[in-house]
Amino acid sequence: MNTSPGIDGLLEGVVLGIGNELMPHLSNEKAQASAAMMQSILQAIRQMIPLFDSALIDEHNAMIVTLRSAAECLATVTGDEADAVRDRAASIGQRADYPTPADRDEVARAHTELGRALEASMIDLDTLQRKGGAPAAAADEALAVIRAHLAPRYLRDFQAITVGAGFLGRS
Amino acid sequence: MNVQLAEYLHRHLADVDHVSIEGFTPIPGGFSRETFRFDARVSRGGVEEVLPLILRKNPPASAAILETSRQVEHELIEAIRTHTKVPVSRSFGAETDPSVFGEPAMVIERMHGKSQTSDLFNGGVDADQADEVMRHLCELLVELHTTSLAVLNVGGQLSDPRGVGIDASSWDSYMESTYEYYVSSYPSLNYDPAAMIMLDAALTLRRHKPRPLPLCLVHGDFNPANFLYQKGRVTALIDWENSRVGDPREDLGWMVAMDGMSNTAVMSHPRDEGGFLAYYNKLTGFAVTAEELGYFILFGTMNIAVPVASAIKRRVDHEHEQFLHLYLLQPSAATLVAFTQLLAYPGAPS
Repeated sequence: MNTSPGIDGLLEGVVLGIGNELMPHLSNEKAQASAAMMQSILQAIRQMIPLFDSALIDEHNAMIVTLRSAAECLATVTGDEADAVRDRAASIGQRADYPTPADRDEVARAHTELGRALEASMIDLDTLQRKGGAPAAAADEALAVIRAHLAPRYLRDFQAITVGAGFLGRS
Repeated sequence: MNVQLAEYLHRHLADVDHVSIEGFTPIPGGFSRETFRFDARVSRGGVEEVLPLILRKNPPASAAILETSRQVEHELIEAIRTHTKVPVSRSFGAETDPSVFGEPAMVIERMHGKSQTSDLFNGGVDADQADEVMRHLCELLVELHTTSLAVLNVGGQLSDPRGVGIDASSWDSYMESTYEYYVSSYPSLNYDPAAMIMLDAALTLRRHKPRPLPLCLVHGDFNPANFLYQKGRVTALIDWENSRVGDPREDLGWMVAMDGMSNTAVMSHPRDEGGFLAYYNKLTGFAVTAEELGYFILFGTMNIAVPVASAIKRRVDHEHEQFLHLYLLQPSAATLVAFTQLLAYPGAPS
């Protein structure tokens, strides 16, 4: 997956494209309003994405605690309803917490750093390959390792962005 | 725009009494130039005629992907018209002053013939013409490739039309300086580490230099969509903006690549000659092999990939906000997979 541009950069580009390249040419007021609403939704998605995974996990883990705490409040209450609340606390309320996800920006930076390292290695391997002899043969093998790592990535990226209507003319 | 076009044609057509412009319409498609079709109704000494024309205009500088000169393209087209039988549109002259049409532009004749070349293949309505059209197309390519550069590259402007340091004084220097262009361009196009396959391609090309052939004028975008035809003959070769001095196998390799992507079968014709390559080899004696074509598919793909990926990087780096350049990430994903095939990456799709 590309880190530059990442998802946020792509969404930002679409928001700008709507504003710069579509809206000035829309003469219909309803169409202008629709375009502005599309920009607003896309901007909201940009703001949701960095929070989404961690918010889901925070809320998931907090709901486990909440179910148990609510049940504790009914410790002296009898009856079917109170039993049902206690049952939930004893079953779903015993789930394990999910771990906090890694910071997406931090992962992207680390990913980029490794990518640049592979890129630099290609240049060094080319130097060895051009020297000939045993180092060149070893460098050929090393380059094949890098290529074997990359091939499925390019294919996955292509498949990810061209499914359904994801590619102009392939709807 | 009609007023500017009429004034332009008054300047470039001899003995014209009156010019009026009709039907000015944009032609959709194309990444690099903005094109418009129109008719010019021209009066000369009381005689009226209608000229079918095209305005080819540079895009705004920030949106440019391939920096080429309309003046050079005009001179090239006129040199081809003068010195070969290759059918090309008449060019009426370049307008380099951007104040006239908004950007530098040129006006060319709209040629007759069908542009829907897919009708020649896969059981299309003109499939019966495919052999004769491809035979003629091959003969025209051979004529282009064997015409002296001394008459087609007057002034040497086609030796390095992008101004990127190409040295076309010999085949060796051409190849070496092109490798240098590809490799040294990498920092300006690696918008993401995923672009590293283009670095691999440039370095691999440099490590496996093929045998030499005489340099010639290459069309530069020789593909199944860039010719018109009628009654078994090619009526025009079009879109010369990437034309330059190069290795003749570049045009063949690019046609092979685009033939596959377009689901056409140019390379399979003329069948009685064993296909396009066999006929080309028979006419030239170049004995180009399938392996060499594979090399030049990669070579030609890099020639296009460098300016396209550089345009993407300028957008990613926020040098401008053109949406098209961001959109190019989608077709580029397909190109990167094609690179894995051309470089025979382990596990690449066959």
